[in-house]
Amino acid sequence: MNNSTSRLGRFAVRGVFWRHYLDWAVINLPFYVYPVQLVFFTFFFFFFAAPARRAIMANLAVILPGSSRAMNHLRAYRSLYNFAWTITEAAIHRILKEEFSYEIIGAEWLEQLGAAPGAIVLTAHMGSYDLGAALFAEKFRREIRIVRAPEPDQQSAQHLTASLEKAGEGVVKVDYNTAGALLSFDLLKALRAGEIVSIQGDRVEGEMGQVAARLFGHAVQLPNGPFVLALVAQVPIFPLFIARFGCRRYAIIVHEPIRLENTGDRERDIAKGVGQWCAILEETVAPRWDQWFAFTPIFAR
Amino acid sequence: MSTGEFPRFYFALPRLLARYRGGSSERAETNGGEAWIASIVTYLVNYLFFAQFIPTTLGLGPRMLSLALLVFLVWLFWLFALHVNSLVIKLLQACGLFRTIPIRRAQSILVAGTATAMSLQLLGGGGWSAEIAAIWLVAVAMNLVAAAILALRNGDRAHS
Repeated sequence: MNNSTSRLGRFAVRGVFWRHYLDWAVINLPFYVYPVQLVFFTFFFFFFAAPARRAIMANLAVILPGSSRAMNHLRAYRSLYNFAWTITEAAIHRILKEEFSYEIIGAEWLEQLGAAPGAIVLTAHMGSYDLGAALFAEKFRREIRIVRAPEPDQQSAQHLTASLEKAGEGVVKVDYNTAGALLSFDLLKALRAGEIVSIQGDRVEGEMGQVAARLFGHAVQLPNGPFVLALVAQVPIFPLFIARFGCRRYAIIVHEPIRLENTGDRERDIAKGVGQWCAILEETVAPRWDQWFAFTPIFAR
Repeated sequence: MSTGEFPRFYFALPRLLARYRGGSSERAETNGGEAWIASIVTYLVNYLFFAQFIPTTLGLGPRMLSLALLVFLVWLFWLFALHVNSLVIKLLQACGLFRTIPIRRAQSILVAGTATAMSLQLLGGGGWSAEIAAIWLVAVAMNLVAAAILALRNGDRAHS
């Protein structure tokens, strides 16, 4: 992480200035100002967050093969616009405690997750983490540990951690996967103690453990951590996604848990789980490509 | 969070209509359609107000370019105006005003007031800009009447 104490660093695309501005806007602006404001802010970031825009376009080229480059520019704008709404609404929920409506798809699996003595929630960069954590806290009153990739800006990371923990009303703990093996042992211990650990399993960042897989027919590298942990701790993996359906309307999509059987052939056991996860990821992302906020190129060229 | 699907509104007029149709007149900030309409009309009034200052003596090309540039300049004006408004509200709160309503509601009054002043100016200019301004003014008037009716009917206060 960079300690962006310089004045300019605060204004970088992932700098803390924009997070503070969003918090200010939520407190100070009437709700009907948001639509047009977000259209313009999305334009702003569409041009200035060029690496994210290019990554979205590269990912879309695989998810929606045959689509033109011009069309994918518009789709990238739409993805960024959805992202703007998602983080805005998460801030509204965190700061104003305004009401949100949601529906649960796969309610039986969510109940199973709530009752599970130790489980891994495997999710993607989709929808709102904050809202998901808040829902879980409200519904089950169980502690959940969220593992995130480190933010490049230290102040942004601090803001994000505080936001998640505030949204989670004291039962959400955020860990950054920078401590290597130490964090893995910590998470294993938590799982064995019956806790729930949430990990994003759709992209690899930094030096984390990786596993080769195929997504939308293309080679990808995915984090192997969740699968190794599930195999060693013998806990189920619950694929869970939060999708935005409209103004302050969300769907929590929970799939049947992936259970990794320990046959003695570790690589094969993990590959089987990864294969199931990729199938679910494809099924979820394909119709909601505009809500997949994986702002790095996922697919190998 | 709520799992309820009952349609509710922010502005007084749709809240009054909802009440007459057997729904709830309680204020809510959850209606996306309402937010979009208000957002676009507010922006449009601002845009038309500033567009009238582009000299008509300009050629077609420079005029179109100016109008396109104005789209973003109006956004920047909004950012500036919203910030100034928030400072004005803090000042008013220090003087004992607007203390019982959230800042964003006080901001709403200032935004609507500014757009209404712009509409009054646009009204004299004629053309379709004046039509848009008239629509805004009628909407504001109807909302004020609806707010008064709601307040008289059930003691609905501005901050409810």
